[in-house]
Amino acid sequence: MNKIDDIYYIEAVRKGNVQAFSFLVEKYQKLVYTLALKLLKKPEEAEEMAQDTFIKAFQKLDSYEGKSKFSTWLYSITYNACISELRKRRIEFKSLDDRQISDQDEQKMHDYYRETKKEDQEKYLNLALAKLPEDDQVLVTLYYYENQSMDEISQITGLTVSNIKVKIHRARKRMYVLLHEMLKEEVYSLM
Amino acid sequence: MNKLDKQFEQMMKGAKIDSPSEDFRIKVMSRILAEAAVIRRPLLQDYKPVISNRTWIVLSGIFVALVSFVIFQAINAAPSQVDQGTLSTLADSMSKVNTSLVKKGFGLFSSIPTVAYLIVLASLSLWTLDSFLSKLKHHPSNIE
Repeated sequence: MNKIDDIYYIEAVRKGNVQAFSFLVEKYQKLVYTLALKLLKKPEEAEEMAQDTFIKAFQKLDSYEGKSKFSTWLYSITYNACISELRKRRIEFKSLDDRQISDQDEQKMHDYYRETKKEDQEKYLNLALAKLPEDDQVLVTLYYYENQSMDEISQITGLTVSNIKVKIHRARKRMYVLLHEMLKEEVYSLM
Repeated sequence: MNKLDKQFEQMMKGAKIDSPSEDFRIKVMSRILAEAAVIRRPLLQDYKPVISNRTWIVLSGIFVALVSFVIFQAINAAPSQVDQGTLSTLADSMSKVNTSLVKKGFGLFSSIPTVAYLIVLASLSLWTLDSFLSKLKHHPSNIE
């Protein structure tokens, strides 16, 4: 249904109803901005980048063939624009340390997380997410939050599906480690 | 998606999604409307010359033919007048021939209907407008 909605508005824009584009801006502004912010870090730069993404999408709208979801196409514009901006600044992504945790430990950490208060859950989840390398934050957000498939993420980022699988798997485990460390610190500080 | 993945997905749904400034949509749309004014200005962007090059060549040909016809008419008419002249001296006759040619030529031009002049004038105006609009073609801004 979402895809049909998008196509309806895209066709309207193509026929000259420029105002129809505001529906697409309204619908995707948060995620485009979030992706830009995760990569660029600075809110002002992320906002500028998000604006440029929509302008670029508008200019290139005729080249959107509808083979992929509009969101996938839009996120790929965002991702590539941010990556070229970072390349200009020669900023490289931090890599994850290779601390591996077993699936059993992961389950324990998840149970531990579930026992914490709702408001703390959100706070620590965002803190842990922010500690991941920038590109992993994007992958995790696209896969778990935005429900983009591995293939779609591959289209967005240009990474291979197997690479994405490995990165997401490691990012998930790393998130649990970070969450566990933060929640433990919280418990100690209360004692 | 395995169980751990699903659990993590549930957890991630609780993550906060960032929001741009409140007037973000307005800012984007004002930039897009400005872009649209440039990209989709049909008169200029999709402008194609009203008169094609081929038509211009045909029109020029007709014009040249018309002018040639007028001149040849004048030349053909000139000898009879020269014969009727004094023919006392070559110089006199030559000057008379020339004068007669010019007079005959202008006479023929004045016999061309006003509509023909209007057509030529309209074509020239159209050509001027054509070149002006072609120069005014806009190009959208480039965001890298």
